[in-house]
Amino acid sequence: MAAILRDILDDLLTSPSTGPCVTCTRHFTPRPPVLHSFPASLDPRLAEALRARGIEQLYSHQAQAFETVATGTSVVVVTPTASGKTLCYNLPVLQALLEQPGARVLYLFPTKALAQDQLAELEQLARQLPELRMFTYDGDTPQDARRAVRARANLVLTNPDMLHSGILPHHTKWAALFQNLRYVVIDELHAYRGVFGSHVADVLRRLRRLCRHYGSSPRFIMASATIANPRELAERITGEPVEEVAESGAPTGDKLFVCYNPPVVNPELGIRAPYLGEAAKLALRFLRERIPTIVFAQSRLATEVLLTSIKTGVADRTGDAGMVRGYRGGYLPTRRRAVEQGLRAGEVLGVVSTNALELGVDIGHLDVAVLAGYPGTIASLWQQSGRAGRRSGPSAAFFVATSAPLDQFMVTHPDYLFGTAPEHARINPDNPFILVNHLKCAAFELPFGAEETFGEVDVRAHLAALEDEALLHRAGGRWHWASETYPADHISLRTVTTDNFLVIDTTSRDEKQTKRRNIIAEVDWGSAFATIHPKAIYLVESVPFEVQELHFREDEEKVAYVKRVNVDYFTDAVSAKGVWILRRLADRGHPAYVAEQGEVLVAEKVVGFKKIKMGTLENVGSGEVELPQQEMQTTSAWLTPTEETLAAISRSRDELIDGLRAVSYLLHHLAPIFLLCDVRDVGSWLGDTTPAETGAVATRESTRRRLLDAERFNPTIYLYDSHAGGIGLAERLFEILPQLLARGLETLEACPCRAGCPSCVGPVNEVGRRAKPIARALLRALTA
Amino acid sequence: MLSPPDAGPRAATLADLRRVIRRIESRNPFRRHAEAPEVALGGEVVENADGRLLVVRREFPLDHRHGRIALAEALAVPPQTLGLLGRSIDGPVAGDRLVFLDTETTGLAGGTGTYAFLVGVGCVEDDRFVVAQYFMRDLDEEPALLTALAPVLEGATALVTFNGGGFDVPLLETRFVLARRRWRADVGHLDLLRPARRVWRAGLADCRLGTLEREVLGVERDGDVPGALIPSLYFDFLRRKNPARLGPVFGHNRDDVLSLVALLGWFGRALAGDAADLTPEQLAGLGRLLEAVDADRSADYYRAALAAGLEGMEGLRVQLRLAGWEKRRARWDVACALWEAATASRIFDLRPWEELAKFHEHRQRDARAALEVVSRALDAAATLGLAGRARGALAHRLARLERRARARGVPAS
Repeated sequence: MAAILRDILDDLLTSPSTGPCVTCTRHFTPRPPVLHSFPASLDPRLAEALRARGIEQLYSHQAQAFETVATGTSVVVVTPTASGKTLCYNLPVLQALLEQPGARVLYLFPTKALAQDQLAELEQLARQLPELRMFTYDGDTPQDARRAVRARANLVLTNPDMLHSGILPHHTKWAALFQNLRYVVIDELHAYRGVFGSHVADVLRRLRRLCRHYGSSPRFIMASATIANPRELAERITGEPVEEVAESGAPTGDKLFVCYNPPVVNPELGIRAPYLGEAAKLALRFLRERIPTIVFAQSRLATEVLLTSIKTGVADRTGDAGMVRGYRGGYLPTRRRAVEQGLRAGEVLGVVSTNALELGVDIGHLDVAVLAGYPGTIASLWQQSGRAGRRSGPSAAFFVATSAPLDQFMVTHPDYLFGTAPEHARINPDNPFILVNHLKCAAFELPFGAEETFGEVDVRAHLAALEDEALLHRAGGRWHWASETYPADHISLRTVTTDNFLVIDTTSRDEKQTKRRNIIAEVDWGSAFATIHPKAIYLVESVPFEVQELHFREDEEKVAYVKRVNVDYFTDAVSAKGVWILRRLADRGHPAYVAEQGEVLVAEKVVGFKKIKMGTLENVGSGEVELPQQEMQTTSAWLTPTEETLAAISRSRDELIDGLRAVSYLLHHLAPIFLLCDVRDVGSWLGDTTPAETGAVATRESTRRRLLDAERFNPTIYLYDSHAGGIGLAERLFEILPQLLARGLETLEACPCRAGCPSCVGPVNEVGRRAKPIARALLRALTA
Repeated sequence: MLSPPDAGPRAATLADLRRVIRRIESRNPFRRHAEAPEVALGGEVVENADGRLLVVRREFPLDHRHGRIALAEALAVPPQTLGLLGRSIDGPVAGDRLVFLDTETTGLAGGTGTYAFLVGVGCVEDDRFVVAQYFMRDLDEEPALLTALAPVLEGATALVTFNGGGFDVPLLETRFVLARRRWRADVGHLDLLRPARRVWRAGLADCRLGTLEREVLGVERDGDVPGALIPSLYFDFLRRKNPARLGPVFGHNRDDVLSLVALLGWFGRALAGDAADLTPEQLAGLGRLLEAVDADRSADYYRAALAAGLEGMEGLRVQLRLAGWEKRRARWDVACALWEAATASRIFDLRPWEELAKFHEHRQRDARAALEVVSRALDAAATLGLAGRARGALAHRLARLERRARARGVPAS
């Protein structure tokens, strides 16, 4: 196997067809393990249990984590994928439960599936230990089992959402847990970033508040993938001082990391071969030789498209396409479990996945990872490429760049790619939107004392405001919850609402006249209109279904009825959009422009779709749909060039619109480098500042017509926060706007293309012939 | 400045204006000088180790009738009957040591943010029935309320509630645990909703206390406040400190407690064998209530229900249930009579026909009689225009019986 892998790699790097596409390789040399004998204080029963599983020594980081926890401080362990991090928290936890059978421990995982995985792992390890009562507690726990879990469990595995809405508001039923809570284990800490992480930090403030009430003060044991600031994140999320264990003692095998840029097929237009096709070709090279391979796609649609072509490619040769499976959010849990199981058992050889498999789901070891597109962050890049690699023997990871500017920058700047530290995980639990919501929950759980802080925050003004809203009532120097509602029910920790659409296959129902519902997938609210609108082709493990009906009204069950079809195309939704200023909060003058920052309303609507042929990806038709508009209030920074600036550059509004769109494209794609966020965390739009008829969305084309026909021409570039309410990205953008503009000009001038390409202002056939020179002139004026 | 054209004659004099203002002010709920709650509600502010609260006590003579039932009847319910109504009561409980309990809360959401701001408890003191209502005039009086309530709960042999198992008792437990106080988890509890559901599942549209009062207990409330409004009335009081609109809330709570007593009294009377004024549905419901604990008495009630003319789905159910018991005891003639009666019901049901057919085929070894039953059943089904499963099952049975008949050389009818 190792020899075949090496042969294929050599061929890829040197053959005339693929060799020139490789922009860079990095070789990671194998590293032997750093081992420690069991700590002296380790309970002999636990040592015996480890030996029974063939573990005679610990990796250095496992031993260090054990010793650190023993000193009574909270700890975060930062180690790569598959380095045995679970023992870092399982050992001290089991030790505590052996020493103190009355102690309680809480485990938090970002998903239910991970909690199930870890319960199985714990049960393995605890098989020979005295009875430890370990249970998962989440939305799947049957009602009649819940009472038993609350009363009996030493160790409860749950998720932050359940802690938020199911455990904390009912803490009296969990009094035994809160009185005796010794440790809180938080795995996948890096997942708690941005808005979600801010919510989780506030949930933990509530948890610690209740622990104080019951007289316990738990320590936190956390595990994180590599990010720039694990300790800072850990301290911010727990509100406690935290020690960091970062030196991994686990061995690694020999590994080659390859940056691959698809070949240019049309130099004039700057068009490269489709990256999905290139990624499929690479994966097939390995799969055909039966080398276990994982392919990461950057969206659910891309996952299905890739899976289709890889399955076709594999079937060509072996006639069996079942050894390659898809994996993504939206698949039913049973299907996901089957794929995980198949991967572990080696029956499934290849898997195409979204970042859903980036988390610590146990799928065993694979030899090759193909990343189709830059995953948006350096941290994800290493997480995903870490899925390939055994403790010994060679492995490889490929980064296949899309034609987006960020990908092109990365693939052509390997020093940047390899040299940049992984991103900071940023959270802001003091964000007033998030904070106030959790204050409501906290007051519901326990009245607030007049002098009490929340975390370190003085919240008296917030509480007084809630009293004005008649949600709290002040009596005897304390604020009490004074409403009939249950606040946690109305606060979701994730932007993804729980309101999922069920996708129901009616193909066989019509034949058999049965009433049984054949649910084949779930789609979250946010992406429903774009993926399961009527007439959309919805792919499940590359099998196409056509959506017949979509039920989305508030008073009906959210379902899409689909039918199995045989088509050679998929659909891509066409959206209309609008951005309107609601409130100006700050502004800054410049001779060439006005920059402002404030609140905006962003509205989007799916108005139609394009049909795209599988394989060639050519546009083969279109259609229209009638769906409601989705609106979001958020924060934005925006820039309006003065009329003089524009007039000095061109007298054609058409040209100026092209140039400004080119500038927005460039700024939007460069912003993540400054904000240390994902490109999807920011949105961009070219509109204007005339208060248009609020709510009337338009496609790009009709927006252009409106700008062309407007009495006053004041086009405005909006860069807004993609999270409802905003998490501070727009404020930061407003601060760094001059640097962002300078970096934009630099990038544009350094780009060798003639009239615009995906790496700078966007592909020329999208932004227009004159876009690049106009954009250059605009950026020069804006940075003058 | 604009003025109406006929301002002169209609212009209000200063005295008129004052009268109007006074009238408006007298209706204004924001009036500054609201009565003190203890005056408005006729109670007394009590102080204990944890603060003060308002306690409103009302006494009733034991022969006081709440609707059709005298309080004394409930208090005389024998211990065996109490045990039969509430499974969680261990051992005999004397009726006069029961504590009847009902709470008014700041919501139905449950969880730790819902307060029981008014707790009404009723029990016998000497020769009187006393309803004491513990009320927090503000949310910080909860410690005092719990302190006042604790000895009442400690002294109770059992609590009597309506849906207390699902609501009032866990809510009080939450309040006690939240305040880090001892909670008597072992207190006996008789939740009358459970037996009420068994008795009235088939007979009434729903099993709310209000429905039972109207339909069974003969209680008419006047000026009652709908339960759903109570939290907002209390929040309103917290903010404006005007107790005027709380009177009906106290009345509502007191009526609930008295209705608990009356409902228990009704059960006592009905289970004492006094069937005179019970409807067929109530008799069947009592039969259902007794099924699990005393099959013989249950059968007696079922027979009484049928004798009183029980019909419809419930009649059919009772016939089949009784027939099943008779079949088990091999009293075939009685069972057959019940099945025959069931086939005559206006509701078509496959089961009595099948039982009769099986009886004739397997028990009597009389295939011809069985065939006859099945064809009668098919006729009945056809008359009702039934298709589908029932017809299919009958046709299947008919075909099988005919095959067997042919095999034995008996001509099919």
